[in-house]
Amino acid sequence: MKRKVANLGLSLIGPVVLIILLTMPIGPLAGGLGILQPVGGIFDVGKGVTHPDTEMVYLPGVQSETRIIVDEWGIPHIYGQTIEDAFFGLGYMHARDRLFQMVMQNYLAAGRISEVIGGMEYAIESDKFQRSIGLARAAEETYQWYVDNAATNPDVNYSLRAINAHVAGVNAFINSMTSENTPIEFKILGFTPETWTPVDAFIWAKMMTWGLSGGVRDLYREMIRAKIQNSTMYSELFPDYWPYTVPIIPEQYNLSLSEYDDAPGGYPASVVPPAVPAAAEAQTDLIPQEKLDRILSVLSSVIDFFGPMEVVGSNSWAVNGSMTSTGEAILANDPHLSLQAPSLWYEAHIVVPGVLNVRGGTLPGTPGVLIGHTANISWGMTNVGADVLDIFVEQVDSANHPGQYFYNGEWRDFEVVDEPIRVKGGGTIDFNVSWSVHGPCIDSVVSTFSLDEEPTPNLAMNWTGLSVTHEILSLGILNRANNLTDYFDAMYWWDSPPHNFIYADTEGNIAITVAGRFPIRSGYSGYFPVQATNDSVGMVSNIPYAFNPRSVNPSQCYLQSANQKSIDPSTYGFTILGAQDPGYRGRRINELLDAATTVTAEDMMRFQADVLDVSAREILPYVLDAWSAVGSNASVQTMVDELVGWDYRMEVDVAAPTIWTVLMDELRDAIFDEATDLGVSAGSIGLPVVEWVLKENITHYFDDQSTPGVESRDDILVVALEHTLETLTADFGPSVDDWIYGDRHTIYIGHLAGLTYIGGGAHRGGRYTLNVGWSWQVRGGPSRRMVVDYGASPDYYVTYPGGQSQNMFSPHWDDLFDLWYAFDLVTEHYGYYLEYNFTTAALFEEADDGTMIEYTLVLLPRS
Amino acid sequence: MKRIDDTVPAFSAILVLALDVVLAVVLQLSGLWITMILVGALGALFVRRHRTAFLTGFLGVLIGWAILYTYAIVTAQGLAVADFFIGLLGFSGLGWVVIVIGCIIGGLLGATGALLGRSLIELIDDLIGGEAESESEEPSAA
Repeated sequence: MKRKVANLGLSLIGPVVLIILLTMPIGPLAGGLGILQPVGGIFDVGKGVTHPDTEMVYLPGVQSETRIIVDEWGIPHIYGQTIEDAFFGLGYMHARDRLFQMVMQNYLAAGRISEVIGGMEYAIESDKFQRSIGLARAAEETYQWYVDNAATNPDVNYSLRAINAHVAGVNAFINSMTSENTPIEFKILGFTPETWTPVDAFIWAKMMTWGLSGGVRDLYREMIRAKIQNSTMYSELFPDYWPYTVPIIPEQYNLSLSEYDDAPGGYPASVVPPAVPAAAEAQTDLIPQEKLDRILSVLSSVIDFFGPMEVVGSNSWAVNGSMTSTGEAILANDPHLSLQAPSLWYEAHIVVPGVLNVRGGTLPGTPGVLIGHTANISWGMTNVGADVLDIFVEQVDSANHPGQYFYNGEWRDFEVVDEPIRVKGGGTIDFNVSWSVHGPCIDSVVSTFSLDEEPTPNLAMNWTGLSVTHEILSLGILNRANNLTDYFDAMYWWDSPPHNFIYADTEGNIAITVAGRFPIRSGYSGYFPVQATNDSVGMVSNIPYAFNPRSVNPSQCYLQSANQKSIDPSTYGFTILGAQDPGYRGRRINELLDAATTVTAEDMMRFQADVLDVSAREILPYVLDAWSAVGSNASVQTMVDELVGWDYRMEVDVAAPTIWTVLMDELRDAIFDEATDLGVSAGSIGLPVVEWVLKENITHYFDDQSTPGVESRDDILVVALEHTLETLTADFGPSVDDWIYGDRHTIYIGHLAGLTYIGGGAHRGGRYTLNVGWSWQVRGGPSRRMVVDYGASPDYYVTYPGGQSQNMFSPHWDDLFDLWYAFDLVTEHYGYYLEYNFTTAALFEEADDGTMIEYTLVLLPRS
Repeated sequence: MKRIDDTVPAFSAILVLALDVVLAVVLQLSGLWITMILVGALGALFVRRHRTAFLTGFLGVLIGWAILYTYAIVTAQGLAVADFFIGLLGFSGLGWVVIVIGCIIGGLLGATGALLGRSLIELIDDLIGGEAESESEEPSAA
């Protein structure tokens, strides 16, 4: 008997050990080794990529039969009988193709990413930061605004219906998820997603708003200003209007103030802005340098879905019929964002007979088309890059008034919001955020209290994006727009993030609106942190929507935008704060369109693929002339030989682009030693400033402060060349063959959780070319290319770097990347697919030649 | 009350192995790897020695999982999935290792389940009717 009991005890060890081994997290494999089982684990995802020709799905929440035709690129064409059914279908497809992405991005935005990936330091820092800027709280307030206004505003009602239906579709998928269509990432991470809520749609919209209009430029400026301590040098090196910029708006077109009497989003507006103090008069030393450095250090490590601000850019242009071969308008747009797998974009075509026929790029998790077209109009977007966020240094007195700040003549309590951070695998981290009248204190994210006299956070963030915003409402109107008037109505509601919306239509109109709510400041410039102890100082009003920078059918017959200055400040009565983009891409688009007489859609594709670097063309001749005049080193001569005769195109088969890329940095280092000696990174000085210094021969910057003599422009340019050679040799090797651009400049599109990547090959383009490619390993750039040709059809050409499916074993994981990446040497442009835009499912099925439709999903009501 | 080993007939190891393979395939379709312990335990009903139970449980589930892996490789990019998985651990191109490890894991589940089942059966039989004589009744074919 004892032996039998002992046998049983011993034989229990094996199963117990195995159960522990197969369920316990092993590093990132939080799902345990049990996921290796042949059925029910990771091997099921391979089955999830195949579909029957017609798949009938019965789901609660569907009102009537909804046909979703998935085309050869995996793009759903959703034919619903009602708005509810159509957006239910979109939500279902978003979840089916992108659920992991949706969950990751929303958990990240809500400051809950530690719940998914665990308690790594960067995850907790990210969560603290997201809690500090309060996106989730702002999303809840915005959602409540929709609920409160749905009964009185039909457009709000429409948007809310779309949101609710979209959420129902997402949840229908989550609730019916099988092992075959559960994202492999969830299995590996051992994570089960929660059901979706309407607030989730707004959280991601807020995250987009932060990614495109957030940031703490006031703090960066303050850090630089404090180091330079010279207002003349500061204004020369960090101008608010880059030299040689071609602004977006060629001719301002105002709308009627009687029709639109307030600011975008219904916010109050002022026709006459108050005078504001010059930036040079701003208060100094409000924040200790050490505290500034620590906050900026923490912020630089925060996960950023849209990419750092320097890669967030875009190109767009539109030409009217007088410039095209067909006599009809053409529009082109390629937004530059962080490139990730799966992509930020998800293509969809949504049709409700008589109500909606919209097609374009959606953001998974949000109900609507962000960039695309209806039957009669098309639009594209570029980021404005304006500064709509100010830092207020609250006056505190910890000794006598702990937990309070001084405002409007009294000591007020900070509102302290508990933000406990749950961590996957155990524990909760206590965290709270202090809010003042100006907003959340972003220094809550990092303990800097020992560094200054204020033992409580006191850097409050006043950001337009944290208010109730109306981007989903705006898209709801735009997605149903069919003419210029509809477009103006839609733009009225687009308050945040500020974007340039380019427009073209079947009637031949072209237009652009610098859309967004631009604050009018009182009592301060907005460039630097400010202490405001009463409400006379702050964002007191906004630019009226009627006067937002806007152009409609200008006499030059084209419009263009590449994130540069919205409008010439000397011709505009309001201030759009911020330097915006250095403007080289804008200059290139402008010269291409200015020289064009008769253009075609294919020309637009060539323009989107253009890699001529205007900055090189403008600056390099000065460098080469300097070398001719005073250069003598034989090794440098070999390098210079590569630059002589270069056509300034950042092509992958030559070495010159590599040399130029290094030279750009070396020029700044060599010229601006006055700044670097003070601890300011030369890389933070814009290239147009280099161009200006060279062209205008601003001699005092050319002198090397470390030498007794006085250097000339030529002397310092030769030094930059010599340093370039040293850097190239150290980083890549001594031979010109080591510097071939395509070997150094490669495309890398990383998976959201770092599990895999797309790309790896040589990438054309550079920092300042239309086909942009920032950094050696390119992780940001044209996230979606679109050309709309209002010829006979009209025709819509699109591609993006990725694919519709989140499943890396699906052919739609990277099939669109293959198009996006394939540069044709003959046509000199990349690949695009031509959209199918049938107004009914029956017409689509009738037209199908066997290659157009991959399968059809029929959603049916389930009682 | 009759003892379990007196009630359930003893089969040859080959037959029990075949039974385990079938059970492994069928129960694994539930997507629950823990049922492989049950496969081994059920197989142990039809043998009388721990060693035989262990071997039939191990090989039965191993073969059952190998069949399912093969099906996944042929129909659902199983090898690509395995390559992807092991790539996460820094061993690209060794997807077959994942398959082998998976088969061994399955086999161990079956084997340990069989040992547990056999021990449990013998303990219960002991409680019911004294010392079991099951081992002496093992068919010679085993």
